[in-house]
Amino acid sequence: MEEYKLDCLHEACPIPLLKALKQLEKMEIGDILIMHTDHNCSIANVVEWAEKHGHHIDYIEIAEGEWEIYIEKAR
Amino acid sequence: MTSSKIQALKRQKEIKHKKKKRQTPYAVLATTIALIIYLMLTNYHLHLSGFWIIGILLGVTMQRSRFCFAASFRDPIMVGSTSLLKAILIAFIISTVGFFIIQYRAVALNPEYLLTEIPGRLQPVGIHTALGAILFGTGMVVAGGCASGTLVRIGEGYIMQLVVLMGFVIGSTLGAKHFSFWDRILISEAPTIYLPDYLGFFPSLILQLLLLCVLYYIVDWYDKKNSIMATM
Repeated sequence: MEEYKLDCLHEACPIPLLKALKQLEKMEIGDILIMHTDHNCSIANVVEWAEKHGHHIDYIEIAEGEWEIYIEKAR
Repeated sequence: MTSSKIQALKRQKEIKHKKKKRQTPYAVLATTIALIIYLMLTNYHLHLSGFWIIGILLGVTMQRSRFCFAASFRDPIMVGSTSLLKAILIAFIISTVGFFIIQYRAVALNPEYLLTEIPGRLQPVGIHTALGAILFGTGMVVAGGCASGTLVRIGEGYIMQLVVLMGFVIGSTLGAKHFSFWDRILISEAPTIYLPDYLGFFPSLILQLLLLCVLYYIVDWYDKKNSIMATM
């Protein structure tokens, strides 16, 4: 299992989602992608997309207005 | 949906960042100040106090629901999701009925109405509408937010949108300065079209609602088709 980090600070939506899409394509099943973002709309975006596609996903606020999103590639 | 690996990562982070400042006192303070201003305004100017409270409620709704006009028109093309576009269409359906009631009452009071007197800002429609829409649409997708979205995000503390706000101010100033030019060559030439003038009030209401429902149906179908293609 490998972990990948993706820096999405100060990126407008939907750039974080598109970056995650690209990164996930390169990854193996079971790998984890950690996204760092300060845009709460991209959370909504990424979570909706990942759930539609059956990936495991969760997020946590790590500082005021900054979040980490975890995606485990499941398929 | 989550997994054990993600839970483990989350727990690690939670231990590291346990100290989180509570923001509730600020919220209570801000709400109290807003209410005091509202009460002071009701004595002074009833209209202004209404605008004040409606504006705040709109802002809160937009922030909490993450309602975003830019995303609603961008997502169908960029990521194939139409959930926000459907929300906009529902909002249009509701406001169509609302405006129908308001305009019907205004016209019933004054049967010899002038188009400029009808509530709802009726404006000429023409090439300038399409041109403006293309310019605005390009801008809002690049900037990551329309006017209201930008303001909501600045309120949240999202710094990138401050740059957008500067562009927004410069753009509106230039637009206001050049308005007479556009008005002279395009806007004053274009007709103002008000459907009830041609069809009558009730038929145009039904036509508009029908069109919106058809659009909703198409958009819903697009979303379903798109998600099936994407999960294949």
